[in-house]
Amino acid sequence: MDVRSRLVGYAWAIGAVAGATLAGLAMRPRFDVVNVAMVFLLAVVVVALRHARGPAIATAILSVAAFDYLFVPPRGTFTVDDVQYLLTFAIMLAVAMIISRLVESVRRQAAQQAALEIDAETERIRSALLASISHDLRTPLAVMAGASSSLAESGERLDAAERRALATSVFRQARELSEHVAKVLQMTRLETGAIRLDRDWAALGEIVASVLARLAERLAHHRVIVELPDDLPLVRVDATLVEQALGNLLENGARHTPPDTVLRVRAAGRSTDVLVTVEDYSGGLDDADFARLFAKFHHGAVEGAGGGVGLGLAICRAIVRLHGGQAWADRVPGGGTAFHFTLPLETAPAMPQEAPAD
Amino acid sequence: MAAGPRATVLVVEDEPEIRRFLGAALGVEGYRVVESATGRRGFLDAGTHKPDLAIVDLALPDIDGVEVIRRIRAWSPMPIIVVSARIQERSKIEALDAGADDYVTKPFAVGELLARVRAALRHAVRPASGAAILRFGTAVVDLEQRRARRAGQDVHLTPIEFRLLATLGKHLGMVVTHRQLLTQVWGPTHAADTHYLRIYMKQLRDKLERDPIRPMHLITETGVGYRLIADD
Repeated sequence: MDVRSRLVGYAWAIGAVAGATLAGLAMRPRFDVVNVAMVFLLAVVVVALRHARGPAIATAILSVAAFDYLFVPPRGTFTVDDVQYLLTFAIMLAVAMIISRLVESVRRQAAQQAALEIDAETERIRSALLASISHDLRTPLAVMAGASSSLAESGERLDAAERRALATSVFRQARELSEHVAKVLQMTRLETGAIRLDRDWAALGEIVASVLARLAERLAHHRVIVELPDDLPLVRVDATLVEQALGNLLENGARHTPPDTVLRVRAAGRSTDVLVTVEDYSGGLDDADFARLFAKFHHGAVEGAGGGVGLGLAICRAIVRLHGGQAWADRVPGGGTAFHFTLPLETAPAMPQEAPAD
Repeated sequence: MAAGPRATVLVVEDEPEIRRFLGAALGVEGYRVVESATGRRGFLDAGTHKPDLAIVDLALPDIDGVEVIRRIRAWSPMPIIVVSARIQERSKIEALDAGADDYVTKPFAVGELLARVRAALRHAVRPASGAAILRFGTAVVDLEQRRARRAGQDVHLTPIEFRLLATLGKHLGMVVTHRQLLTQVWGPTHAADTHYLRIYMKQLRDKLERDPIRPMHLITETGVGYRLIADD
């Protein structure tokens, strides 16, 4: 427990005893001393419930002292005429001890419960990942096994075009599979905190360019419009990871929208961060799909079926948050989805100086 | 073929299935292939077979691929292409800084690897200073005369921009790491000033690429470095 909360506890002890004393003084003309003892006991119980054992015992001792001095005859001294008051003191101390021990054990159990819940959450994500793996791996594996066994067993009876088609489909599915496995691994590494950011100055323009080159085939049926201001500041990020985050958003856009629609990539420098937006103009998603997609992005939830999609968005979100940025999504007026993320700006580095040429 | 009638390629790779398809693909292209299943074997084979180029997997069972590269580099300038898994980002850069000339990431299409092999072999037979004139897209850059044109129009390049292009041009078609570029263009004290590269590469693209957002020649290898791809 830190010093601050301990001080607060002792302040409560003093406050509670002071309160009980005032109440007791107000009660003295009309109530029996035993009832005044009850008020002090209440103070002990309150402090024991709210604070650690130290303040609770302090309250008990202070209460005994105040009670003895002000209420137990002879008043104005700490001497005790009647031995039975010693029992009152002992009970006050015992109550303080018992209640604070009870409270401590309840607190410990609550902490254990919370830890168990985190474990359960991790377990849930893990089983969702497993479900997603088995679902998304089965189809490509089936295709690969089928196509390659056709080639191996009856390749000579197929014509060149058929052989090529089969081989190409093995290649495509294998690449798809490899992408998916990479995503699963990546998500696992992000979940377990196994990723250390390798930050360096990066230009978002270059990150966008390499995403577009890497995903050229997947984005071939969409019109990708890039809007980057010329004076976009550099960001200090793990460029490989940010490239993945942006790539996952574009892949998601391409997968969810009909061919020949527009995907728009935008970035803007703001006062403390850079805002990156990927917009699509699908209009085809109903509210339920929309809610599901958003949930994946906002909560990093991963679903079993079609997990590849949720995985991509969850990875994007995890990468952005690892960089200290925010990720969110909203609807584009007129139908469509906008995925946004921010990357915090750092103080711009010293720029190279070059004498005028020639 | 650039490196003689029948260039020899050494493949250092422990997975037999990967050696098989690499052997087949390289054989079809007319290369003579020597296969080594371990790092130590690979290093010995490099000495006895004197290959024109080596393809080295980074994850070898006995010694680290980077160590194989260091040992080969200690006595031979032969081009070395590294094959790495995606999660080995750091060792990939380490391998390049240790003297590897290029890399492919698993899984790769054979065409991609063959293109790297051709570029590396071409580089090996070219004079070490690189070509004096670089042509890519609509740009023509004369490094000796310090003149640049794009689509027939004169373009002004600063001395640093020329030096950057010359360094990339020396390894035409191959990746050059941030550290290598910074050290060779700005000097060893600037080896970590990656932001210099970000600024100057943007300037070069703005001046020389047709569409700077979708560059065809001044290519970013995210997290690794840059590559200049000229027209064949």
